[in-house]
Amino acid sequence: MDRIDELLLSELACGISLVEQPFDDVAAKLGISVEDVLLRLQNMLRTGVIRRFGATLKPNSIGFTANAVIAWNVPGERVDEVGMFFSSFREVSHCYERSPVPERWNFNMYIVMHASSRKVIEQSVKFLAGTVGIYDYVILYSKRDLKNSVKRGV
Amino acid sequence: MVVGLALNDVDKKFNVCVLDDVDKCLLQLLQENFPIVECPWRELSEKLGVSEQQVLSRVENLFASGVIRKIGSIVDLAKIGYTSTTLVALRVSDDKIDDVALIINEYSCNVDGGGVVGNVSHNYEREHEYNVWFTLTAKSEQELSCMLNEILQKTGLSQSDVLNLPTVKRFKINVNFLVNDNVDVVAVV
Repeated sequence: MDRIDELLLSELACGISLVEQPFDDVAAKLGISVEDVLLRLQNMLRTGVIRRFGATLKPNSIGFTANAVIAWNVPGERVDEVGMFFSSFREVSHCYERSPVPERWNFNMYIVMHASSRKVIEQSVKFLAGTVGIYDYVILYSKRDLKNSVKRGV
Repeated sequence: MVVGLALNDVDKKFNVCVLDDVDKCLLQLLQENFPIVECPWRELSEKLGVSEQQVLSRVENLFASGVIRKIGSIVDLAKIGYTSTTLVALRVSDDKIDDVALIINEYSCNVDGGGVVGNVSHNYEREHEYNVWFTLTAKSEQELSCMLNEILQKTGLSQSDVLNLPTVKRFKINVNFLVNDNVDVVAVV
């Protein structure tokens, strides 16, 4: 990744504009050809620097109104197996192993689920728990997106 | 069938916009297979069997109705040096949540390489005794712990009100919503 790649990423961090040839605008701003822009983007997608190029949707607007982190206490030797199993579900958008806090918080596996209702999340979690045989978990429903709702001066 | 808490939310009045099958296909393609070509809308229009102008005006409507937040690149922070990440949970009294959120949000727009990343990617109020949950990322363990200490100091919270849950292994990150047949109407916000 060079300086132009960085500039390109920062240019696209806020998204493309809705014009017929959106990458032309970006190329003009950076003073490079549109072919170069496309090539650089494709390269960064291939190497994984860009995880995804596309639309970010507002989950509420399309019916995904329930969102939760589910924290699990998974025995150390089962972390890989359980992590891969949880990750195989489309409804699970994130799955991480994390260090717990000794004596205060034993949960070491975290998944994020989006669904149309809390009932659907509860059913899915019951299914996952039953399948892996792990019942020590906590569902942490999201109440408010603080990053997108709490702003200075508002 | 109408689905969606936003629509049922009795506190607010919403207008609605109807999604047809073309919109649903379009949303799926926009999320998963956005064409990195000179005329992306034309390529999408060929896949969808509608005109390029139709695609653009549908995308404009989906933006206007708040369904689409942005169309752009999502960077894998780990690949550009942000290798240390953690999830932090705080126990905050209800009347202090917004103040604490503001302090955390200041770290969501730190610039690097001209604005590619912020150190905070998520910040949510959750229904639990630990009620504020945010992710923090930095270029080293040291930088991460300095930043976390700085945040905690500003909030005035004590260590007993904090859970620091560093990432050991990432199994999956793929936020991609299946716009299913149950959703025909969306809220215009």
